[in-house]
Amino acid sequence: MSRRFLTLSILFTSLFIFIFSIPAVEASSKQYIYDSAELLSEEQVMELEDSIKEFGDKQETDFIIHTTNDTGGKSIKTYMGDFYDEHAFGYDQPKGNTILLTVSMDPSKREVYLAGFKKGEEYLDNERIELVLDKVTPHLSDKNFYQAFQQAISTSSDYMEYRPGVNPESLLLKTWFQLVVALAVGGIIVGIMVYNSGGRVTVTARTYFNENNTRVNSKRDMFVNKTVTKRRKPSNNKSRGGRGGGGGITGGGSSFSGGGRSF
Amino acid sequence: MVIHYKCPNCGADMEFDAASGMLSCVSCGRKDNIEDFSEEFITTTFSEDEAKQYNCNNCGAVIITEADTTATNCSFCGAGVVLGDRLSGDLAPAKVIPFTISKEEAMAAFRKWCRNGRLTPKGFMTADRVKGITGLYVPFWLYDLDSKADVKAVGTRVRTYTRGNYIYTEKKFYDVYRDIDLSYVKVPVDASEKLDDTLMDKLEPYDYQKFKDFKTPYLAGYIAEKYNFSDEELFSRVKTKVQPYIDSYIRSTISGYSSVNYKSKNIRTKKTKAHYVLLPVWMVYYDFDKQEHTFAMNGQTGKIVGKPPISLGKVASWFGGIAAATFVALKIISFAVGGVLW
Repeated sequence: MSRRFLTLSILFTSLFIFIFSIPAVEASSKQYIYDSAELLSEEQVMELEDSIKEFGDKQETDFIIHTTNDTGGKSIKTYMGDFYDEHAFGYDQPKGNTILLTVSMDPSKREVYLAGFKKGEEYLDNERIELVLDKVTPHLSDKNFYQAFQQAISTSSDYMEYRPGVNPESLLLKTWFQLVVALAVGGIIVGIMVYNSGGRVTVTARTYFNENNTRVNSKRDMFVNKTVTKRRKPSNNKSRGGRGGGGGITGGGSSFSGGGRSF
Repeated sequence: MVIHYKCPNCGADMEFDAASGMLSCVSCGRKDNIEDFSEEFITTTFSEDEAKQYNCNNCGAVIITEADTTATNCSFCGAGVVLGDRLSGDLAPAKVIPFTISKEEAMAAFRKWCRNGRLTPKGFMTADRVKGITGLYVPFWLYDLDSKADVKAVGTRVRTYTRGNYIYTEKKFYDVYRDIDLSYVKVPVDASEKLDDTLMDKLEPYDYQKFKDFKTPYLAGYIAEKYNFSDEELFSRVKTKVQPYIDSYIRSTISGYSSVNYKSKNIRTKKTKAHYVLLPVWMVYYDFDKQEHTFAMNGQTGKIVGKPPISLGKVASWFGGIAAATFVALKIISFAVGGVLW
């Protein structure tokens, strides 16, 4: 109760500050976009920051976009972890709720890595990160970086609405699917009602069955032959781009969920 | 030969009473057991030109009948008469199930049934336009059948297991053979040309415990028909009727397989006996929306069959209601599971 009150009051206070403080001061206090590879125009950066603020207020999580031309020889995962430790991102506290999107434009290997910390780790777990990357990677491959980042922000926000552990792309949660099921159920039940309105056949195979004179005189179940087919066990890492999956722990000791692709 | 039952008390016409199962006098209420009703009060007359014309024993008027009718009411004085010669020799029924539901009970049950119709139009539910209700003894053949089935099939058992990096699917094929004797008793098939076969099939089952040896007084006051088709002519129909029963029994004897593929199924069915019986049916004729609807009620169990008119509006509202309720339920479930409404 008190915790909820606390988070609510934090939320309201931050809203209050957001509305009444001078935007320039608020904007300068936090940096969300570190565009070292210079993939975005100034205008695009402003628009992305607006989306990120909206996302942050809704999910109480900071969304950080980091682009680079050089990971300094480190794997993108380690590079991302060091960057997080160095800046200590977080919506609520240093090293707090964060989603960190890292894009490496290293000429030898262009990669993307998406990681979630704290609430981000819980609500954007490895499976959901893979789903986000499914939507984002095609835009990156087409060099539509602005679109890719907007997509990453909005999709992450959508997914974080769902309770942890639930697949947000599950068919069962789709409204159109639920509508189809509802119409089918209605149709089948009413169909049965119409069909049965004229009376049902209530006799079964047992009604006129005379068990005294019914018997199996002889039966034979003879093994003839057998066939055996084998197929390879489906492996979990589908070969779609290079994947550095799974999340882990940064050098500074923060655990995270994560997933990466090359594009 | 016209048979007519006179009350030993008052001389009025007697009819079969469904409630008591006895021959009863409409006028003074006297009831007589059918098994020992005295012969002297049964008047039978033979007219010379019987093939063409019957005369009522009561009033002498000409009884107008169809060729298949075996019992009817005199259209002039209303007395129940039985046409005995159409019920003798080959045409004599072996057994009869007398009506246990009277005309009033049948009417009340039909009105109740109309009220419960979930898809029928409102005007139909009041059942105020019933044109007529007729108690009918319908001729049926009851077949006792012995069947012999020779079945050859290939049964397949499928097993999957994992070893190392591979999933193995093992299929074992079995040569399956069954030699089965099957027996079905008293399978009914309606032998009247006029009545719809599917309607009559839905009326089943009848309680065979209540069979009585046939006596003409059971028919007094009702309409009865003689069979139009002999047991030989209807044999193919009874065979198709028991075919699904035989198939399901065969399937039940072949178990333990993932799939069964029949190679040959040789079924020979022969009739051991065919009984000619009369079964009670109330026919209800109902005029609605310029159409006549026919319903049939099992005169023993009260089961009602027949296609009622369907109200499109009611179908739509049921469909909409069920679909909407399902949709809301799914939304609630998805909110409970996923935490998101849309």
